[in-house]
This record gives sequence, C-alpha cells and structure tokens, in this order.
Amino acid sequence: MHALEVKNLCKSFNSINAVDNVSFTISENSIFGLIGRNGAGKTTTIRMMMNIYLPDKGEVILRGAKIGQEFRDRVGYLPEERGLYKQMKVIDTVQFFAEVKGKTGRKLLKKADEYLERFGLLDRKNSKVEDLSKGNQQKLQFITTILHDPDFVILDEPFSGLDPVNINIIKEIILELKQKGKVIIFSTHLMDFAEKLCDEIAMIDRGKIILSGKLSEIKKSYAQNNISLHYRGDLSFLNENPIIESIQDFGNTTGIKLKHGTDSQLLLKMLVDNNIALTKFDANEISLQEIFINLAGKDE
Amino acid sequence: MMINYRTIAIIKRELKAKLFSKSFISMTLFIPIFMIGILGIQTYLMKYESDSNTVLFVAAGNYTLKERLQSEFADQDYVKSKDYTIVCLSVADSKFDGFLTERKKELLEGKISAIVQVPDSALIKKDIGYYSTNPNNNTVHLKIRDAINKVLVETYFEGKNLSEDDLQYAKARVSITGYKVTKDEKVEEEGPGNTILAFVFTFLIYFALLMIGTMMMRSVQEEKNTRVVEVLLSSVSSFELISGKIIGLVITSLVQMAIWLTPVMLLISTSWFVIPPELILKIDFTLILFFLYNYGISLVTFLGLFAMVGAVFANDQDAQNGVWPVTMTIMIPFFIALSMMSNPENNIARISSMLPIASLMVMPARLTMIEVPLWQFILSLFVNLISAYVIFRVAAKLYRIGILRTGKSPKWSEIVKWLKYKD
Repeated sequence: MHALEVKNLCKSFNSINAVDNVSFTISENSIFGLIGRNGAGKTTTIRMMMNIYLPDKGEVILRGAKIGQEFRDRVGYLPEERGLYKQMKVIDTVQFFAEVKGKTGRKLLKKADEYLERFGLLDRKNSKVEDLSKGNQQKLQFITTILHDPDFVILDEPFSGLDPVNINIIKEIILELKQKGKVIIFSTHLMDFAEKLCDEIAMIDRGKIILSGKLSEIKKSYAQNNISLHYRGDLSFLNENPIIESIQDFGNTTGIKLKHGTDSQLLLKMLVDNNIALTKFDANEISLQEIFINLAGKDE
Repeated sequence: MMINYRTIAIIKRELKAKLFSKSFISMTLFIPIFMIGILGIQTYLMKYESDSNTVLFVAAGNYTLKERLQSEFADQDYVKSKDYTIVCLSVADSKFDGFLTERKKELLEGKISAIVQVPDSALIKKDIGYYSTNPNNNTVHLKIRDAINKVLVETYFEGKNLSEDDLQYAKARVSITGYKVTKDEKVEEEGPGNTILAFVFTFLIYFALLMIGTMMMRSVQEEKNTRVVEVLLSSVSSFELISGKIIGLVITSLVQMAIWLTPVMLLISTSWFVIPPELILKIDFTLILFFLYNYGISLVTFLGLFAMVGAVFANDQDAQNGVWPVTMTIMIPFFIALSMMSNPENNIARISSMLPIASLMVMPARLTMIEVPLWQFILSLFVNLISAYVIFRVAAKLYRIGILRTGKSPKWSEIVKWLKYKD
C-alpha cells in the first residue's frame, strides 16, 4: 500500500485549469519531489493535498482511506508563501504551532531549543518575529513545520530564499527525517535539489503530470544515448554534427543525446581529437534537468 | 461550535494577543475615563461657557413691571454670580420699535446678548419677545422664564385678594414625578437613574461592539495578508479557526464589559457611593446577567460578520467599503435605543426590540427603563439565538471561501454566489 495516493485531482480558477487530472503515488519512508516550473500547478496540488483548497474533482488517499483531520494532525506543512504572526515572540510561535497539533510540554520546549540552536536562533527566542530577518523568519517557519514530529512533512519550495549554509541544514534534517521513517514531500523548480534528494518524483507542467515514478527508474529509462560531460574547451564543432541529436550546454557541464545506434566511443574520440579536456564522461547518466527540458520544454 | 485542543490553542493565542495586550488594557481603562471626561466637558460647557457674560436688556411695558423684574432678577443666582448682567428698563409698547432700532448696533456687535420685551399685553397673554442674533438660545430662555413668570403672576393677581399661599401656588411650576407600575403590584417612584443607565448600556454595547469588531477584522486581515492562515488551515478547519477566534474575542470583550459594569454593580449592591436619591437605580443582578448574556450573543453575531469582511476584503480601503453594512446594523439600533430616552415605549423601539440584530441593543435598554411583557422578552431571546446561529453559519462559509482568495476584492454579487457553493 502507498503512504499517499493522489487520484485525478482537478482544480480550475475562472475557467483556467490550474490542475488537470493529476495523479501520483508516494511510497512509505521516501522523499518525494513534485517538480515543475513556476506556475505549473505544484502549489495548487499541494494545497489540495492539505485540504486547503477543495478539489473540483479527485481525491487524496492516506494509507487506503480518504484524508481528513487525521492527516492534518500528522502532517507538517511549510507553505510557499511563508506566514507567521509578526507580533509574537519566537518561542511563543513554535509553541503555538505545536499546540495546534496537540503537542505541549517540557520535552517539546527542549526540542524547540535544540532546533533553534541548530539554526542559530536560540539567542533570539524571546525576540518578536518582526524583529528577525527574512531568512531567520524562514528558518523559524521550518522549525514550526517539523517540531511536532509529524509523519508527513510537506515542504513547498523549502530552499527558496535561504543561504547555502541553511540550505545544507535543511537538507540534513530532511535526510534525518527519512531515517526516522517519515515521508517527505517537497515541491521545487530546482532540479538539482530534487535529483540529489528524491527517491520518487512527479513532474508537472501546465497543470498536468508529464512524468512520475521512482527517480532511479526514470533516469534509467532516459539514459539510452545520453552522455553527460564535464569539460574545458569549445564544443561548437559538435553543432550540426550528424551523430548528435541534441545538446544541452551549461558551460562546464553538457548533456548530449546521440542519434539512435551511434557508439558513444565515437563521440569520445571526436572530443579528444578536438583537444577538449574532459573531467567527466558519463555515458549512462542523464540529469533530471535534461529530462525536464526534453519533456516540458519541447512545446516552447 | 467544536471545542478541542486545536480550538483551545487558537482561543489561548487570541487571549494572549488581545486580552493581555497593552493597547487593549489601556483602551479598557481609557473608555470610562473618556466617557466621564465627555460628560464633564459637556457639563462644564453648559455651566460656564454657553451663557456666561450674557447681557440682557429687559424692556418692561411699564414702570411697575420694570421695578418688579429688576428686583426678581437681582435675586437670581446667575445674576449674583455675574454670569448674567440684566438691565431692566421701562419702555412703553408703542416705543419698543424705536428702542430696538437704537440698540440694534449693540446687538449686532454682541455688546448686548438679547433684548427681552415684556409688554403690557404679557399680563393677558404671557407672550414675551426675545430679540437677539441667536434668538432660540434655550439655555437663556429656561433661565429667565421662571423669574418673568413669577413677576407676571404676582402683578396679575395683585389686588385680587389672594392669600400668599394662593399666590405661591399660582407661581409654582408643575412638577412631574415618574412612578413605575410593575406586574407585582408595586408602584415605585422612579427618577432618571434608569434612563441614564439605559443610555450607558446602549453606549457601551455600541462602542464595545465596534471596537472588538474592528479588532477581529484587522486580525483576520493580518492572517490573510501575512499568509499565516495557510499554515493554520493545514492544522485546523476553517470552522474551528473562526470558532476559536470568536470564542477568544467573546471572552476578551465580556471581561472588558464586566470591568466597565463593575461600578454599576457596586452602585446597586453597596452603599459605598452617595448618589442623589432621584438617581438611585431600580435594577437587580438579573438584569446585569441578562445584559452580559445578551452582549455575548451580540458578539457571536457581529464578530462572525466582521471576520467575514476581513476575510473577503484584504486591503484596508476595500474593507472600509465592505464593513459599512455591518456598521449600519450596529448604528441603526443604537439610534433607536437612544430615541427611547424621551419615550421608552415608542413603537419603533417596541418592534425593533424583537427583530433580529436590532433586538440586541434595543431590548437591554427597554428592560432597564420599563417592564417588558414576558412574551416579548422570550421572543427576543429566541430571535437572537436563531439569528446568531444563522449569521455565524453564513459568515463561517464566506470566511472559508474568502480567506484564501487573493487578487482584487470581489463584488457583492459574487459574494452572494459564494453562498451557493457546496461545503
């Protein structure tokens, strides 16, 4: 049985189909990424999963039963548009959001202190939220999302607006939560994060799911004829080359798709002959970014 | 309403943010001071400002009248205190127009406040002329009327063989004392104390409802604008959220009202305060309890509406437009209740004391002033409970739809359509 199952969700606003028949499944103890461009329908889908928006059609199933208050009690939700009470103190804020989930007591306060310390906010616990910087407010909001020890953690664009150090702390915590057996669902338009963290993904574009499943299997199925390069030099000689179907060039990293039946060794020889200094030549790997651009970008 | 740990958490937060906030505590203490201050200023203005330095020229139709008026005015407190300067002159009725023309300049320049003509004919018809740039100054009229009447009566009955007692009787003004007739066969003298109390009750409900309502609206707007509501709705249902907020603010406002009513309760239950006998209050604790209960129902009714406006209209300007129908439903009953001060049994007041919403403000005022038939009282309780429930359900529904909407504010026609949405 899946931990969570999203079935045929539809939502439209003033005749615009924001989410159109979206379905995917999320396994127990996994990290799931809902990926797509800005405005693709990620947040609307998540809001329907959280029962904040009522879907026009479809349902969300939690371990075989339709979601209700039980799910709300067991979920920690970080919305895309962060929101805290500006006049409240930091410690009152974390306490309040835990109380709403039915968690109180000394243990909780101790745990709150631990998280505040980890994010460098312990000395600000008696400050008002409005006195914190935007970044610190985001860290505080993340703490309120996970402090009550939820079984499901839903994070809508969790890394946006954070510096690399704090991004790393959040990544660490996500992995810790996974080790504790939790299900983590996050949305992002940053493919790199999804690729590094996720076990499963669903790719959404213009309100429709265009790809979903285990990330390893997706990459495997898209790996044929794909070569990932890290290099120094000029690759312009490959343009219009008869063995190349397409090139995604990002400067130092490039994904190359060869035409069907072409031996990758032929490409390697051409690169060496043209004095390209290779630091990585991976004939099996395709990046999530490339998959996404191939699928979502082809109608542009 | 559902009470569970989620609503309790919301209630606790509301109490902490509102009841224990510095601004709320200072407002609670400030309003009685403000009310007393307003009454004090009004009294001061009436006493010292409106008619001090009044200069009156009294033109009596003959010499006898002039002498008597001069002597009577000299005994008046307002002349002794030098607030009024009254110059009595003998001016024959036929020469009065010329006299007025002569003094016109002084009247226009304000050197003379008024010329009072007491003609000979006043001894037949008691018609007095008052010539001034401000001819309908009631403060002056009321003050000089009794003295002039006294002189006219004395002059009129002179030589008619009346005893001093007869004369005193003829000069005296009719005095009306109110006696309240109640069902329990008691007939008690009643001074204006209860009317003043009804005014205080009405004013307190009006002011407190607007204050707490605005507080609710701003709180919902804040949650909407800062998007806290999205996090809250991931934990609680919108119904639990609005219920928790309303309960929190009902408690807050009832505590505030109880604080404001403490002086009234002390007044009727202790002998700590010495008040004039005519101001003694004829009420008991049941009325105070009913008042608090009624106020609680008013809060549920109106807080739901204010929350709905805050949820539907996110920015302040749209909210101002959106809130006026709600404000009107508080203001109209307020004015109806005030109209009862002159006649507590007027028809509009009687009918509106049994109508939804209006009853919340009019019935407590009626109960304070007169004995209301039991059926009317029970009907108003019933009507208020039903209307509070219906309004709460409608407000909760519009709140749920409005709270997550972004972008431009909806039109009223759209809001009506929302009512047809399925939950």
